Amino acid sequence: MKIPIEFTLNGQKVRTEVEPNELLLNLLREKFGYTGPKYVCGIGECGACTVLLDGEPVLSCLTLAVDVDGHEVTTVEGLAKSRELTLVQKALIEEAGVQCGYCTPGFVIMIDKLLKENPNPTEEEIRDYIRGNLCRCTGYVNIVKAAMKAAEELRKGTTKVAEISKE
Amino acid sequence: MEEPKHIFIGKKTIRKDGIPKVTGTLKFSSDIYVPGMLVGRVFKSPYAFADVKRIDTSEAERMGAVVITPDDVPDKIFNPRLVSIFEVTYKDYRVLTKHPRYLGDAIAAVAAPTEEAAQRALEAIKVEFERVYEPILDPFEAMSPSAPLIHKRILKGDEWIDVKNNVGCTLEYSEGDVDKALKEADVVLERRFRTNRRYHMQLEPKTSVCIPHSDGSITIYSTTQTIHNTRILISQIFDIPMSKINVVKVPIGGSFGSSIQINPVVPISVALCLKARKPVKISMTREEDIYDHAAYQMHFKIRAGAKSDGTLIAGELENIMDIGAHQIQAYPLLGTALGWFVSLYKWKNIRYVGKAVYTNKVPTCAFRGYGAPQVSWAVETLIDEMAEELGIDPVEFRLKNYVGKGDIFWGQGPTVKSIIRSDGVPELLQRGKELIGWERRRPPSEKTGRYRRGIGVGRSFHTSGAGGPISGETIDYTGAILKLNEDGTIDYITALQDHGGGTLDAHVKIIAEELGVPPDLINLVWSDTQTTLYDVCTHASRGTYVGGGAAVQAARELKNKIFNYAIRVLNKAVNQDMLELGYDKELGQAVVYVRDNPQMRITLKDLATIAWQRNWGTISTTVTYRSKAAPPSFTVYFVEVEVDTYTGKVRPVKVIAGADIGTVINPDYAAGQLHGGFAQGWGMATLEDTIYDPRTGELTNKGFITDYKILTAPDMPKLDDFQVIFAHTYEPTGPHGAKGLGEAALNSVAGAVANAIYNAIGVRFYELPITPERILEALKKKGR
Repeated sequence: MKIPIEFTLNGQKVRTEVEPNELLLNLLREKFGYTGPKYVCGIGECGACTVLLDGEPVLSCLTLAVDVDGHEVTTVEGLAKSRELTLVQKALIEEAGVQCGYCTPGFVIMIDKLLKENPNPTEEEIRDYIRGNLCRCTGYVNIVKAAMKAAEELRKGTTKVAEISKE
Repeated sequence: MEEPKHIFIGKKTIRKDGIPKVTGTLKFSSDIYVPGMLVGRVFKSPYAFADVKRIDTSEAERMGAVVITPDDVPDKIFNPRLVSIFEVTYKDYRVLTKHPRYLGDAIAAVAAPTEEAAQRALEAIKVEFERVYEPILDPFEAMSPSAPLIHKRILKGDEWIDVKNNVGCTLEYSEGDVDKALKEADVVLERRFRTNRRYHMQLEPKTSVCIPHSDGSITIYSTTQTIHNTRILISQIFDIPMSKINVVKVPIGGSFGSSIQINPVVPISVALCLKARKPVKISMTREEDIYDHAAYQMHFKIRAGAKSDGTLIAGELENIMDIGAHQIQAYPLLGTALGWFVSLYKWKNIRYVGKAVYTNKVPTCAFRGYGAPQVSWAVETLIDEMAEELGIDPVEFRLKNYVGKGDIFWGQGPTVKSIIRSDGVPELLQRGKELIGWERRRPPSEKTGRYRRGIGVGRSFHTSGAGGPISGETIDYTGAILKLNEDGTIDYITALQDHGGGTLDAHVKIIAEELGVPPDLINLVWSDTQTTLYDVCTHASRGTYVGGGAAVQAARELKNKIFNYAIRVLNKAVNQDMLELGYDKELGQAVVYVRDNPQMRITLKDLATIAWQRNWGTISTTVTYRSKAAPPSFTVYFVEVEVDTYTGKVRPVKVIAGADIGTVINPDYAAGQLHGGFAQGWGMATLEDTIYDPRTGELTNKGFITDYKILTAPDMPKLDDFQVIFAHTYEPTGPHGAKGLGEAALNSVAGAVANAIYNAIGVRFYELPITPERILEALKKKGR
């Protein structure tokens, strides 16, 4: 039995029908084509499927699609506008915090959220905030550097979105 | 040799796939969705060692699923890795099997319109087993004459060979007289080591999408390190001409060796697709992926001898590899393991016995370092002990005996030899010592209290590719296509895969350097097998070294053709040899000019436009390239650890990661390799293993990553305590002096960590990982 739901997805009102056991991750990827959230473990261990639900990070592999009815969902694709990037996205590229890129969407969402809560985090606070996100390529070094750089830019009053610099 | 001045090489640039990656818009193979696509699921053997009697697919078919069994796939035995030449390729894999040899061998597969329908159909398949055997999980038991044979006959090339004592293949080698040398030695050490059975834990679970076309051709998107070998293997298994198979290069979500071979899901998806005549996608679950491959687990016995002056005079290695249920690259690894051993230190007299033994476990494949992390951990532990026995500083002992400049390097085993022309080991050891504060290092006997710190050193290397002056048992060449567009920009087309390390951005910088065209005007083309030349595989740390070599050659040929056109326009120029091509900073573009008369010039943009307007034709080059050497990239890690003697927990306090990679092309991504290499090496040393239920051959973690720990962000040292250094070297055979890095970045870590733990608590560990439990047990035995 399909259940009709209605929610806001990356700023747009959407309506669809879902199975009662359908996962938010699969709904986003298969029906709406938002493949930024990734399946890596499926059991809430790695953070690669993280999205924002009413502004709070949730693991979409552990969230039932029916439960987002009437709520607001933001995926990594919903953070940036056209060629503009968020400070975190820009810093991740500039600090080489991206290697294979599979874990990246989860880190983008988490660090973005961290800086909203705490624009002046210490290195330990950053590491602690992203401890639920696994990365196998970077050893987290350049991801942490990127988070610190984005925080610094934010404190300097750099606008929320920025053009990526050339070379 | 003096390092030439570079404009683009060695500078930080923005990686080409950066924006698609941070915005989540880049499509990996797991992100491919095609209209009308079916979802495939694989029936995996619930037994580790069994023979199938009957497969009942009627219920699954009644549910509307497309089902395949071993009777529906070609009766072909193959090796999923095509990097070795035919004659030394051992084959024991089938697309689907009636004789599962580990808990996870594929027996049947289904495809249905949704994941749920596919899963229900999968559960409706009934498999009746003729016999279920006791699993053989210990390689030494497997070798006993009374043990049943896991494979009775396998193919070596095209010839059947009988397997004896479950030994899949062997390699023996000797040089000099080890017995005599050991008698003459002042110190002899004999140690046994056992490495762990690690899982790659690449974040993207292996995926394959196969799409059929009305003309009988198929297109494949899959998680792979080699699109061309994927095409060849599928062609061989299914007897489809290669011209009717196109494999598309899509980004890979981490690899670390897990996709050098063509993974089982690929031929299964093709078989399902051919039967269904619809697109089929198989994306593994994480639990299935853990059951797909593991790292080669090695049991070593090493005997080594040295004179009292600190000169090594003998080294003997016995290497029993527990390869699991299938051979992928066990035979070449027997050779490389020997190669790593002899290229670490000058043993002078060498003896080696290597055996690859079948067990009913998850098949093993290359895992970043291809045996070098295992061999290096064991040798570096033993070398440290030897130095202590001799009363020589461990760094001095290494400097005295290591294989360096002018010596013969065995690259990837006895068939890939070349002379070492660049060597940053002395510099890395010296600077590393200073940066870690080596003089602070005190013997473990002086350490007391709950928290004890120790400093250790470990060194290793990896090859840069598997090329060489002659053709050996390994295939290693690549291709590059460069096309000057009508506005002076460049399209660069290669089959070589970038695993995320920034390899292809390195190629772009090399091309930019050669042509003076800035990197942002060079387009990295996402390509496929039908529009690229053959590339063997991104493995063996060859991406920058071999692929970069091809980029240099292609760019130089392109430059000649550019000059050929330029001479028609620069009307006073008479000699093509007098032309130069370079980057004009003010214009922000490439300019062709006459040497010593730089005012006589034309921009590449204008030249390209003229060539177009006057019908001169496209300037392009196509090169196929093999490197003539496989130089070692040396790495040296200095690590300080802290052991909590109450809990047995170890944490990294400080890391100096040193690498000799010749010219550094991508400084930030090269550092990134060392960061990630350390994290994986730390996991190997202290955390990671897959453990089997001895009765069933099932993984005790059931495949869940909850019980396969890798490092998280708080587990790493602080930013200020992790320092990367590069040696000032230049590799004459490399593109602009560069060598590889990916694997070397990991190879020396576990040795350094183990030696640091010893320095903290005075205990040597001969088994990995060095878990808190093992540390506590050892401390208890030692009476703390």
